[in-house]
Amino acid sequence: MRKTLLLMLLLAAPITARAQEFKIPPNIDRLSAKAKETVEVTMEGPMLRWASKFLSAEDPEEAKCAKLVQNLRGIYVRSFEFDKESAYSNEDVEQLRALVHSPEWTRVVGVRSVHDGENVDVYFKLENDKMAGIIVIAAEPKELTFVNIVGPIDVDQLADLGGEFGIPRLDTSSAKKGDRR
Amino acid sequence: MKSPTAPVLLISLVVLCAITVANASDHEFKGVVHAIEANYGVHHMHIPLLGFAMFFARPEGVSGMKLAVFENFHFSGESEHVTHLIEDSLGEGWFPFVKVRSKADSETTLIYTNPSGGKMRMMIVSLEATEATVVEFNLSERSIQGWLKEPGEMADDHRHHHLD
Repeated sequence: MRKTLLLMLLLAAPITARAQEFKIPPNIDRLSAKAKETVEVTMEGPMLRWASKFLSAEDPEEAKCAKLVQNLRGIYVRSFEFDKESAYSNEDVEQLRALVHSPEWTRVVGVRSVHDGENVDVYFKLENDKMAGIIVIAAEPKELTFVNIVGPIDVDQLADLGGEFGIPRLDTSSAKKGDRR
Repeated sequence: MKSPTAPVLLISLVVLCAITVANASDHEFKGVVHAIEANYGVHHMHIPLLGFAMFFARPEGVSGMKLAVFENFHFSGESEHVTHLIEDSLGEGWFPFVKVRSKADSETTLIYTNPSGGKMRMMIVSLEATEATVVEFNLSERSIQGWLKEPGEMADDHRHHHLD
């Protein structure tokens, strides 16, 4: 009986974990009230699998993207554009970062640009040593973007998602600039 | 010699058939239109020969277009209520795709998709301070690729095109 119960708990664990998987930060809509313009892009499992059929097999970049997208459970983009600088606070950004302050999330990229005030953080979620999700928080003086990619992702294919589905391209060349701190 | 009215009659017949076929599968579109009418106390405008005009003036890559325009509409810019309203009206198979809210223009654009087989149906609900439109259409493969690549920009293009 105890074995059966344990087995049931083990089987239920991944389901529970998936159920707790967050898509959009619960209080992110507060930023809409401050923003001049808000853009939300939502693509979930069935839509993603269907969409992958329309990425061109002849274009090598799109073909790689299609392969990657087939296994994803969701792509969620929230982008806020503000009238003026400092329209959103550091606390607003910290609240977004706080969501990934747990052991399964690792901050892998952090770009701080003193020159143009662009701050980008990329977090990876690891499950059984495999990447299970990515969160990107890009904060510019008049723009704030939150991207959540849910599902298994091959790190090598990650860059291919930039420029598709409203996900901004990650400019890796900026990491070479000398204006970071 | 053929009557000069024959091609006109033929075209009219084709358009009428197309409209009849569209009407058979437009309960979701009607549901959204009725929901807006019931909740905001407005009626969509009757536009004479709308089906005929849309048959010839539809945007590239678009087919099976249905359109409802509401004038004297009063929209405060509060998008949550209308989002629930639209989502409750749409049945299964419709997915939220893009939502654009512009505070400066008190404008909200909601875009939902219904993918099936090689087609994608798209429903766009645009709400402005004094006007609202509901558009449903089928997208060609090329148009789908454009929407998938830059959904936010495509929604913006649609919004600005509508404003013009």
